[in-house]
Amino acid sequence: MSTTWLPCGTYHQSYVKDHGWWQTSFVYGKMTLLVIVLFIIIPVFCGDYLLSIAYKIGYTILAALGVQLLIGYCGQITLGHAAFVAVGSYTSAMLILYVPWPNFLFSAGLVYPISMIAAGFAAGLWSVLFGLPSARVKGFYLIMTTMAAQWITVPLVITQYVSRIGGRGHYFSLPPGTISIGPWAIDSDRKIYYLMIVLVCLCLLAMANLLRSRVGRAWIAIRDNDIAAETLGVNIVWYKLVAFFVAGFIAGIAGSFWISALYFVSPEHFEFFYSLWWVGVILIGGVGSLHGVVFGAMFMVLVEEILRNGLVAMGGWMPELMLVGKFDYFRDSAFGLAIILFLIYEPNGISYRYWQIKNYFNLWPFSY
Amino acid sequence: MELLLQFVTSGILLGGVYALVALGWVLIYKCSGVLNLAMGELTLIGAYVCLQLYTWFVPVLGITFGFIIALLGTLITGFVLGVLTEHFFLRKMIGEPILAVIMVTVGISFFFRGIVFSIWGTDIRVFNPAVFDITPYSLGNLVISQVNLWAFFAAMILLVIFVAFFKYTRWGLSMQACADDEMAALSLGVSAKFVYAIAWAIAFMAAGVGGTFLGNINGLNIQVSHLGLLVLPAVVLGGLNSIPGAIVGGIVIGLLQNLADGYISQFTPGGVKEVAPFIFMVIFLLFKPFGFWGWERIERV
Repeated sequence: MSTTWLPCGTYHQSYVKDHGWWQTSFVYGKMTLLVIVLFIIIPVFCGDYLLSIAYKIGYTILAALGVQLLIGYCGQITLGHAAFVAVGSYTSAMLILYVPWPNFLFSAGLVYPISMIAAGFAAGLWSVLFGLPSARVKGFYLIMTTMAAQWITVPLVITQYVSRIGGRGHYFSLPPGTISIGPWAIDSDRKIYYLMIVLVCLCLLAMANLLRSRVGRAWIAIRDNDIAAETLGVNIVWYKLVAFFVAGFIAGIAGSFWISALYFVSPEHFEFFYSLWWVGVILIGGVGSLHGVVFGAMFMVLVEEILRNGLVAMGGWMPELMLVGKFDYFRDSAFGLAIILFLIYEPNGISYRYWQIKNYFNLWPFSY
Repeated sequence: MELLLQFVTSGILLGGVYALVALGWVLIYKCSGVLNLAMGELTLIGAYVCLQLYTWFVPVLGITFGFIIALLGTLITGFVLGVLTEHFFLRKMIGEPILAVIMVTVGISFFFRGIVFSIWGTDIRVFNPAVFDITPYSLGNLVISQVNLWAFFAAMILLVIFVAFFKYTRWGLSMQACADDEMAALSLGVSAKFVYAIAWAIAFMAAGVGGTFLGNINGLNIQVSHLGLLVLPAVVLGGLNSIPGAIVGGIVIGLLQNLADGYISQFTPGGVKEVAPFIFMVIFLLFKPFGFWGWERIERV
């Protein structure tokens, strides 16, 4: 957490207060406004297209949150996060499709929530498995092992083995009505949006709370200097594995959420590209900041949509642009260029700008 | 037994190409400390440039000369692209944290991939007419396809040239000095910027030639960039900053891939060939975290 600037005359007298959420009455107002906007104004006044962009942003936030935890808070660079999201997604889908649930669970709409939690645990354990080498290796070698997680999980285990369950060999689609929470079947963009916003808020809150606890401080110590952390008595292997578990758990939740939006799972949503994409999200948003995840996800998804719409508009003059797949390459190039430019010109990311602007107004008019 | 011999030979031949690409990677890492994840795209771009030049030159010059000229053209293009990439993207990142530098190379890889596929499309492309005769050489019971053999020879020749360049020329010596101790090299008048540029140029050239031959073996599409990514297990195996390590690592990866394909993939639905090097690498790293010949890093708080 960055330094908090308080209005004149407000002091903190204890550590607990220093880390409190509700430090000034202004924060109350801001948060209430945010809740009203997120839970009432956006779902009521936005159309389906805007809502679908919104829940895409939410999915990106959920997926990138684990990457932020590993890279931004624990210093363990990961390039294989799509593997864990895939594990979550597939666990959830498999549990819904192939487990003979008792009928009362179905009618109570508990199957999807149960499968979501199970997906979190499965992805978390899978992530711990590939986090084990972090006990021995770090830096580039760790990058290689997480990349190996990607290559082993998605092209081998999921494409070649899991996809063959049931003899289809391709993707799994979920029959309508299987994804329901309690009495609500998740079947419209508005309901997906609500599910998304609840999950995102829960995960962000849980993460923010975790980060100001003993565990979070241990992670930050490991990130800043793992040897120094060890000499101070932090059990680095244990805390690294906890970090991998939590990151995997959130990835599993993200994957499980994503099947509610798509109603099918297919390996091509979890390619290596997405692992890099989520790292790009946190780099553009700002490494080591939860705001960064949100800003980065918004930036990336919105830019992608703007590019897509721009290309569709340009397709009138240049029909060859409309060819299937052209957009993807265009997007790849733009994404690559965006990452390079951000790293060269604004290495601290969007959240740093946000922080600067906030401070300017906090200190205004005496900003010295 | 014959089968084993067959797998081993073709594995070593294929590994030669990986070794060439891995050499480019290690040169960049040694000289400038950049961990380059764009190697797959460097091979891809070289391969497509060569294909384009080949289709232009073949009607004029015939197959053999056309290919040689195209290869030379690829080397020149690689040199120029390498210097440009270094100048515009990597130079500004000197001294930044490792994640930032790695992600810049990731950005480069996306940028190039987008460009390559918007120019040439994603359909599988072959060198037409085929550069090498399809009829394989046979040596007793051993069958060796001509493409693989020539690819191996070309890779070996280039490896020798690059290693000799690195060892005996003035530029190569300044590269070595820079790799050893950048500050000391700078104080002795070695231009670090020049060294980085040369390292990137060599990496682009090596990857381009590697990609050309990989494209000749299997045809050219996005798969070639995945093959280019296989240099990562190769360099990890050899140790990040060891040139002999890169060569051995490349050959071992080629071998491993072929053996996995020959012996394991019949028991699985598929996909083992591409993934086997990565699995092997993870297990290997648990036992030797710095590869065979990598420098063990001693850290101080």
